[in-house]
Amino acid sequence: MGMSLMDRRVLLKAGAGLGAMLPGIAGVSAPALSQGANARTLRFVPQANLANFDPIWGSQYVVRNAAALVWDTLYGVDEQIRPQRQMVESEEASPDGLTWTFRLRQGMKFHDGEPVLAKDAVASLKRWAVRDPMGQMILTIQNELVAVDDRTFRWSLKAPYPKMLLALAKNNAPCSFVMPERIAKTDPFQQIGEYVGSGPYRFVRNEWVPGAKAVFERFADYVPRDEPASWLAGGKRALIDRIEWVIMPDPATASAALQNGEVDWWENPITDLVPTLKRNRNIVVDIADPLGNIGAFRMNPLPPPFNDVRARRAVLQAMSQEDYMQALVGEDRNLWKTLPSFFTPGTPIYSEAGGEILKGRRDYDAAKRMLAEAGYKGEPITIVVAQDQPITKAFGDVSADLLKRMGMNVDFVATDWGTVGSRRALKTPPSQGGWHIFHTWHAGADCINPAAYTAIRANGDGAWFGWPKSDSVEAARDAWFAAPDIPAEKIAMDRLNKEAMDFGLYAPTGFFLSYQAWRRNVSGVVKGPLPFFWGVSKS
Amino acid sequence: MLAYTLRRIVATIPVMAVVALFVFSLLYISPGDPAAVIAGDQATPADVERIRASLGLDRPYLVRFAEWAWNIMRGDLGTSIFTNLPVSTMIQQRIEPTLSLMIITLILAVCIAVPMGVIAAWKNGTWIDRLVMGFAVLGFSVPVFVVGYLLAYVFALELDWLPVQGYTPLSRGVWPWFQNLILPAIALGGVYIALIARITRATMLEVLQQDYIRTARAKGVAQPGILFLHALKNAAVPIVTVIGIGVALLIGGAVVTESVFAIPGLGRLTVDAILRRDYPVIQGVILLFSFTYVLVNLIIDLLYTLFDPRIRY
Repeated sequence: MGMSLMDRRVLLKAGAGLGAMLPGIAGVSAPALSQGANARTLRFVPQANLANFDPIWGSQYVVRNAAALVWDTLYGVDEQIRPQRQMVESEEASPDGLTWTFRLRQGMKFHDGEPVLAKDAVASLKRWAVRDPMGQMILTIQNELVAVDDRTFRWSLKAPYPKMLLALAKNNAPCSFVMPERIAKTDPFQQIGEYVGSGPYRFVRNEWVPGAKAVFERFADYVPRDEPASWLAGGKRALIDRIEWVIMPDPATASAALQNGEVDWWENPITDLVPTLKRNRNIVVDIADPLGNIGAFRMNPLPPPFNDVRARRAVLQAMSQEDYMQALVGEDRNLWKTLPSFFTPGTPIYSEAGGEILKGRRDYDAAKRMLAEAGYKGEPITIVVAQDQPITKAFGDVSADLLKRMGMNVDFVATDWGTVGSRRALKTPPSQGGWHIFHTWHAGADCINPAAYTAIRANGDGAWFGWPKSDSVEAARDAWFAAPDIPAEKIAMDRLNKEAMDFGLYAPTGFFLSYQAWRRNVSGVVKGPLPFFWGVSKS
Repeated sequence: MLAYTLRRIVATIPVMAVVALFVFSLLYISPGDPAAVIAGDQATPADVERIRASLGLDRPYLVRFAEWAWNIMRGDLGTSIFTNLPVSTMIQQRIEPTLSLMIITLILAVCIAVPMGVIAAWKNGTWIDRLVMGFAVLGFSVPVFVVGYLLAYVFALELDWLPVQGYTPLSRGVWPWFQNLILPAIALGGVYIALIARITRATMLEVLQQDYIRTARAKGVAQPGILFLHALKNAAVPIVTVIGIGVALLIGGAVVTESVFAIPGLGRLTVDAILRRDYPVIQGVILLFSFTYVLVNLIIDLLYTLFDPRIRY
């Protein structure tokens, strides 16, 4: 029991690797279902436990992913990251951009048989807006949000909000899922008690065993759009009758279960086990999300020495993203790249402006000089590192080494993610329970632009952990929201990336991808920021 | 006997009260925040604070403890912070797999370990004795998850005889239920078998030196009769005691075993709850485990009278 997860992984990797070489591993041990029933049931191993099921109250990705099966959205982003109509049939913006009128599609029903009405959309948007960064922006300029008739609702504003459709379509949690009015009236900071949506699958609550299993069944009355499915947009055609989410805390067990045919699709196989899975001819392994993830660590700008921008920039000057990425992903260069930016590479308005500090030769001497200029005198630097998350553990080890090379006195606090979550919220000095540095990562889908990018804020007390304050960063962010077109957005992004880099808002440790794996008899799996089950079938 | 049993049952109340106080206080002072976990990584500090307030986690220690203790006394274990389900419902969902695993392990361990210990004592100093003791050392030394992985590799991946993971309720048939428990029970039972086998051997060695054993031999009682009727019964008290103490081992081992074999039992529920800081669930499960342990020891104490008539309560 004293061995770490990594040690156990290494142990089973050897066993699982041998198992993969054996021909004809068949799933005789799968639960006793007829072949037809088996083909109609998809067993999926999600990235984490589905511990709650309110996508507004809890904004974990796993909740968002499950919610996308059960609740539909007014709009949805497609794989070009463009908002497309989903529950909405048409919309109309007034010429001054102050009034948006939306008309819902006809014939939509909730899983309890009730029709989807405009009042449901209004109540859902009101609840969502309280919790969502873009929704909160809309609330500050809102006049009213009202249902006009059963299928029409109107959102009137005091100032134009050009990103309205993106706000309603984005896949970043919380998404603007539409719930029945009676449920959507729940306080946004309280959990809902009913799970009734209008999406392609309904949640089978009586089979839900939190931490073990969640079951979704095809909703017969769902009417998909005519367009082909594309991420959250288009026709969400449910081809599988029943989807079972099987929670597996141990990656080695998930790997063995996939090889043995006991599960069909594994959302996030760990890198160590991927070679074993790739050798199995019954399994397909591919990139999960082309938008990947951005690794990060935040330096707390409240206590010294990081209250001085020179100290933060000294770290940026010295850090090697290659070190971070190799510690996490290894030598597979298909899975990572360096990132002189805060934004997701390969996306339309990606910018590297101001990112020179992260490029080229790493200069520890220059970094030491900058630290001295910032007044650093050897006080302990408290790095809080979650050891139960492979990503943060790898990053934490590299950061500790980096700071030591820079001549800093490292106070390495090895703990778990739950503790990091509470400790990073403390503003007290590090010696009294606060922190200097913590590590995390951001989904690339959240970092395409500033829309839902909480970590890019620099509005002091309202900002993300560390509470950075920079008027120039905030002004650049505002410029993006006001940008009327893509060229103007690009200019705003250049400015924002440069300002944030100059400020040392946080330290990007690189861009990395991850894999997903599924049995070869499953088809229709696509790459995307979340697992999309519509269009997936099983033979 | 009845009076003693009642006294012991009443005595569990202060024990459980101390456990309750200890568990609540430990969780209160331990770092971590369920509100931060609920809010997700992208939530702002203000969101986390609002959720914490809505959960009542910002209230003083004494207020929270008094409320919780009052509910416990009324039989209400509270509601999970995350799932919004009553803790009693969550325990009910998870108790069958854990109970099944523990019972199968217990039966397996006793059926294997007791004969092993008896035979080792009988063949004291021979290669059989050394083999049994070697196995016992191995059972103590190899972690449960290592045994679990090896069993899964051999019997599930390579031979394809048994499933890698999961649990099938008994209501769906005895064999489906049993086949999911075979590998976990063997993995979990290793240390338990080792413990019982060693105690059985040691006690049997002592008993086999007694005069009445020599008398039995002189009277021509066959060796199996000597070992299992005369000696084992007199060696039973320490063996039964260690079986009872070993329940704690089973509870601890179930946490690991259930994770390795993805069994949706109380062990996994506990680990998940600890990682998320789901305080009501942690408190409820630990109270249940503590009560089980106290109860098992009471049963063991009562069983003494069956094996040794000199013991009176």
